[in-house]
Amino acid sequence: MEKLFLFLSSIRWQDLVDIVLNSYILFRLYVLFRGTHVFRVLMWIALLWFSQRIAVAIGLILTSWAIQGITAAAAFIIIVVFRNEIRSVLQARNLKNIFWGVPYQTTKTPIETIVETVFELAEKRVGAILVFPGTDSLDEMIQGGIRWDGLVSREMITSIFWHDNPVHDGAVIIEGNRIKKVGAVLPLSRRNDLPTYYGTRHRAAAGLSEITDALVLVVSEERGSIALAKGSGVLTVHGRKGLVKALEEHVGFRQRQWGVRKKERRELIIASLASLALITAVWFSFTRGQESLVAFDVPVEYVNRDPGTQIVDTSVNSVRLGLSGSGAFIKSIRPEQVKVRLDLSNAVVGRNSFTITAENIALPPGVILRKVKPSIVEITLDVPTEKLLPVQVDWSGRLRHDLILTNAKVTPGNVKVRGGKTILQGISTVYTEKVGLGQIEKSGSLKVKLALSPATLKVAPGSKDTVTVDYLVRIRERE
Amino acid sequence: MYIKNCLLSCMLCWLVFGVSSGAFAQKDENVPAGSTGKKLTLTEAGLCEDLKGNKPINRSVVFSKNLEKIYCFTSFDPVPEEMPIFHKWFQRDVLKATAKLVLKPPRWTTFSSMRPKDRDQGPWRVEITDQKGRLLKILRFSVTD
Repeated sequence: MEKLFLFLSSIRWQDLVDIVLNSYILFRLYVLFRGTHVFRVLMWIALLWFSQRIAVAIGLILTSWAIQGITAAAAFIIIVVFRNEIRSVLQARNLKNIFWGVPYQTTKTPIETIVETVFELAEKRVGAILVFPGTDSLDEMIQGGIRWDGLVSREMITSIFWHDNPVHDGAVIIEGNRIKKVGAVLPLSRRNDLPTYYGTRHRAAAGLSEITDALVLVVSEERGSIALAKGSGVLTVHGRKGLVKALEEHVGFRQRQWGVRKKERRELIIASLASLALITAVWFSFTRGQESLVAFDVPVEYVNRDPGTQIVDTSVNSVRLGLSGSGAFIKSIRPEQVKVRLDLSNAVVGRNSFTITAENIALPPGVILRKVKPSIVEITLDVPTEKLLPVQVDWSGRLRHDLILTNAKVTPGNVKVRGGKTILQGISTVYTEKVGLGQIEKSGSLKVKLALSPATLKVAPGSKDTVTVDYLVRIRERE
Repeated sequence: MYIKNCLLSCMLCWLVFGVSSGAFAQKDENVPAGSTGKKLTLTEAGLCEDLKGNKPINRSVVFSKNLEKIYCFTSFDPVPEEMPIFHKWFQRDVLKATAKLVLKPPRWTTFSSMRPKDRDQGPWRVEITDQKGRLLKILRFSVTD
């Protein structure tokens, strides 16, 4: 019980938001893509990912690599292959529907009108082909066609299939109470077992119904018969009742709408709970999985320094942080996410001592600070000023034994140096970089750079960091 | 002979790195005694490898660490009255030793010295000051290989 309480108390409000937000995103993806090919392929990708994790867990190196590759490729392919379906899902809904609404499948198709019209066309021996899409997208299956988007009516259907109409040979696509397209070309079935008296319209109807879940109605021009294609079957329709029933089953029926909604609602509740469970499981596997420890060397940033002062010395430039967290979090830490900042707003000129606490350290979520080394940082602040200092040559090496260097004149003899007031107080000479004596054989001149120490010292604007040394050499006196 | 005795009785200074080295004032043989009211004047100052009599041998600004001693000599004319002066030996900006040398009228030459060691390599300077701390001269040199 105590453990459970400890566990619950370790969960932050951010963690709850994290889980709920991601569960909702997953649920919305389900709502938007359910019933589409994309959703089915996504399920397969999820299964592949799950398999890959199992392969990793049990140490199947090659298998896990292979599945990882396939998953990555599949994720890319899904975007390319199903781009139209994804676009139609996203385009068909407004922003509110994407984030909030649940698109219930309402049925408004005027079945009676369609049935009456179809039988009238059959009597008059006017050929016709009508497509009622299911949940599958037909965009990749049908070719051509003219966008229509007109309301379904007896007159409209009759006029579309009238002999003199240029689009009468194509199919009409009916969604809800609207004729979406006319003159559409459907893929022909390649089956050999279809009756020989079936013409192109029947083969087209069978072709589309074989590869999608659409229902296709065909009116034969020669025999005045009506056929219905759904799945792999093509059935002849004998009476109005049979056709009405078939259409109702396909597009739904208003009287049964509440029943359908109830079923859908149950499905959505299950989906939302499944999303919540899945995301919670993933969250726990990420955050409460194997705990890893890692040490990071992080540079210390000093902020809010009085602009009238400058940092002239620090005891450390970086500190070592001991961090812990789940393996996934620790592995994903980027250096820029870990920062150590010391607030110098209360620092004074001279030596200051600061203790680094958790408040000074920024860490990515889910990562816990265990140790800081060193935890105390000494900082020396100073007031910047300028000082004119004489320059002295820093000779090094060995002069030829028989020579003696009698004089060295430095030009300019003094340079202005900028640095901390306290530091400059203790400095009375600026030295050059080391000048080797080994190459000197006679009097001459050379240019040499200044070597300012400590590094916080700089040559003041207007002064040069290079001086000229004129030196005199003579032969050593023999005693 | 009298002068030599005078010189030997003059003074001593101590020097650098715990190794003190003596410094002896030398009275110029041909110079008459100075009178009070005149201003102390430094006429010559330098660094050398040795001193023979009053004369610096091998004046230089670069000295090998292998030398036995490095000398800093100073000559004053006139010396108005008996007074001390100081040779302050600095390695970079760190004061390593101070030699107090007493001058006597009318003219005086005096010196201090250091024994260089391995750790002494680098730039040095000797500040020559009077008893009131007024800077009379800075001599700069380097100890090298």
